[in-house]
Amino acid sequence: METKKDAQDGSLILLRQGAEARVFESTFVGRKSIVKERFSKKYRHPTLDSKLTVKRLNAEARCMTKARRLGVQTPALYFVDSVLYTLTIEYVEGPAVKDVLLEFGLHGVVEEKMDDITSQIGNAIGKLHDGGLIHGDLTTSNMLIQSGTNKLVLIDFGLSFTSTLPEDKAVDLYVLERALLSMHSSCSNVMDKILAAYRKSSKQWSSTMNKLAQVRQRGRKRTMVG
Amino acid sequence: MKVLDVNGSSLSLALFTDVPHSKELLKSMQAGTLEPEVAFLNALLVLKCFPVLAAAHKTLVSKSRESLTTRTLHSELVYNYSASKHISESLKRCGISENSTYVLVARFNASPDEMKAIERLVGGNEIDLEELETRADNAQIQKHYKISGLELEISSLPDAITCRIAARDAL
Repeated sequence: METKKDAQDGSLILLRQGAEARVFESTFVGRKSIVKERFSKKYRHPTLDSKLTVKRLNAEARCMTKARRLGVQTPALYFVDSVLYTLTIEYVEGPAVKDVLLEFGLHGVVEEKMDDITSQIGNAIGKLHDGGLIHGDLTTSNMLIQSGTNKLVLIDFGLSFTSTLPEDKAVDLYVLERALLSMHSSCSNVMDKILAAYRKSSKQWSSTMNKLAQVRQRGRKRTMVG
Repeated sequence: MKVLDVNGSSLSLALFTDVPHSKELLKSMQAGTLEPEVAFLNALLVLKCFPVLAAAHKTLVSKSRESLTTRTLHSELVYNYSASKHISESLKRCGISENSTYVLVARFNASPDEMKAIERLVGGNEIDLEELETRADNAQIQKHYKISGLELEISSLPDAITCRIAARDAL
């Protein structure tokens, strides 16, 4: 029986390159897909490098599917390749929340749309946190609005982990707050709206909010003095 | 019957009802004397072709690396369709049992003659693959793949199955 070696269905088109991974567009058994490849770091010892990469690859696959189980939409996972270090996932059509907000900054806010997006964001983060999942990289470029349905889709679970500590949840929200401040200062009350929705959705909102107040005072890293 | 492309190989799928002698099929499969070799899937667990193709893709990649978990290419397909890492349990649930009558047959790179031979071997009535969706047992699917109502608010059932198939070895 003949099988092609390590073949992807379609050709790969590079979309983006980051510090940890490259993102390609491809097709997976007839469906448009995204391939995220974690490349190896040449400065690391080969054994350590492959162990770390596989561990992170699997963690990302686990967190993505866990988010779905908690009722938060993420791209469907199609294939995990622990030899080539790739994840193949569903291609989601639609703009990033970042681009939608930047558009608002340029041409004025569409209140109705803004309320819908912020409430979906707060609701999604609330569900993740109550289920003990921390996204780890909540920025507006890691949130997509699916064309047609206008549903929020969270992407990039590369820094995700499981935790039920208010500290971790607060830092997760703080990262988003900082990202919003630096990217979208023209839409001033976005974070307030998101937090309002978060409060409604998360049962453990009060301990997280208390912690968030502390985190705001000291920043993302805990000071380790004494 | 339908022939689908997976990674440059082909996967032929045929759906049968009223399969008369699953007991013999099961026996010859376990003895490894099935000619030609095929995969029998419990069609009650199949809603759409896509999750089967995802499992087939996974199977072909392992085959190309000589890293099959089970003994044959076609048993690997059945095993990969399952959400469980337990091989015999997976083959029991996602494959055929002594009294199954509703079966999805799959073979990689099958010739038309081979598919005819398979048709004779299986007996039963061949029906259109479009029927999968109406005949599938959603409750059994949700139980086997542990899919909650919460997840179905944001995902279709076939996509949820595909995620389980893809993520199994990462868990």
